[in-house]
Amino acid sequence: MIHDDGGTAAVTTLVMLPLLLVVLAGALEFGALRAVAYRVAAAADLATLVAVNDQDQTELERTGTLRLAAGAVDVARDYFARNIEATASALAASASEIAASADIASFPTAPAIDPRTGARYDRPTVRLIASVPVKTPGLAVLLWPAVTTITIRAASSPR
Amino acid sequence: MTKRAATLLLAVVLLPSHAAHAREPFENDSPPAPPPVVPIPDPVAFVVPAGLYYVTDTYIADVVATSDLTTTYSTATAHESTGTYARVLDSVDSGASSEFDGTAFNGRGALTDGRALAGTYYENFVLTASGYVPVSIVFFQDDSETRRRAAASSPSPAASSPSPAASSPAVTTAPVGGPSESRGVPTPVPSFRPQTPIAPVAPRLRAGIALAQDGPTLTSAEVLRGRLIYFWPRAFANDTAVAIRSWRLLSAQPDYASANTGSSEPFAAEWLRMPAPGVRWSLRFEIFTEVAPLERLEAEITIAVRSPALID
Repeated sequence: MIHDDGGTAAVTTLVMLPLLLVVLAGALEFGALRAVAYRVAAAADLATLVAVNDQDQTELERTGTLRLAAGAVDVARDYFARNIEATASALAASASEIAASADIASFPTAPAIDPRTGARYDRPTVRLIASVPVKTPGLAVLLWPAVTTITIRAASSPR
Repeated sequence: MTKRAATLLLAVVLLPSHAAHAREPFENDSPPAPPPVVPIPDPVAFVVPAGLYYVTDTYIADVVATSDLTTTYSTATAHESTGTYARVLDSVDSGASSEFDGTAFNGRGALTDGRALAGTYYENFVLTASGYVPVSIVFFQDDSETRRRAAASSPSPAASSPSPAASSPAVTTAPVGGPSESRGVPTPVPSFRPQTPIAPVAPRLRAGIALAQDGPTLTSAEVLRGRLIYFWPRAFANDTAVAIRSWRLLSAQPDYASANTGSSEPFAAEWLRMPAPGVRWSLRFEIFTEVAPLERLEAEITIAVRSPALID
């Protein structure tokens, strides 16, 4: 007696294929989102690093201690906008808008307590917190929002 | 034919080309040339009289020595430093007058013929918190005369004065505060009291390192890695800034140093390496000042090199 189950396999494939495609699309979209998140976080890290790489010359001459330059916040915001420009195609807002809305704080002297995060900084620090809207069209297919907002945080100090 | 085709192809390729206007990422990041050092007069340094120097030989007395027919007028000094300063006011020849005649506390003697002695007027100073204060003027005599022998046709004025034994030189000293009769005529008793009641005091010298030409001296400094920092050796006499004659770097660990010696210009240094944990770097200088060129001062500043880093 010959038993042929070829039809069962075809039906199973037909039923499972959409599900597999959905899972595959979701994995790809989350992977892309994760990659964008890494790039934006790196942009924030670099922006804060640049901002703390300058010191108040007058304070240095007066006391010999390192105090952040007065324009540290502006420098961080400017470089954050420049750095995320490379990821602009994946973002749901312009780089300048994202940078303008970022919460950037300078703590020119230490020790200091960050009123937003409660963190204690033992060295002069620049802290950046930004909400970055990222396009996620693949997730929209799955009835998820087409824009996913990720929050990144970076802080640097001269040590 | 082939050459024409190649030329045409090259023209076709090159004609639509245009400048890329690419951004050079490091065009604004080239290390800036060290700014030219423009010496700026120190606003807190007081005025140093021209030609002032630190006294290392002090006046003791006027000396008149007679040997045979020659009489020498000189000045006895002692090689010692009393913390005072002096400058030359005037050098005069025999018989010449000077605007400072009558101002020296030890007076200006005269030759046997009545002409004033040759020599040099010095003005003495002491350094106080308010600056260099003149305290006295002294005349260092430096002259000589030779008497003619008695057989000469016209006797000299000196011939009538009592002469010491010709075989042995006679030396007469006008001691401090004592009368001088070396020239046969009593001269005014020199007064060694300063003209103003300010006691000469040795200045209290100290040296330090500042990060600005007129900045405060610091014992330590935090500098960023890769930044050119200027260190200004400074010296103070009684807490008043004085000019630096020279400085020399005794020890340092920078990756770039402008020079190991200098005078009015600062020392520039840059660190590219980071110190090992627990290691403190320092710069140590040897400093000489204009007010006390022989006095060696040392100054040291500790350096902490910082570099930007992420905070977790």
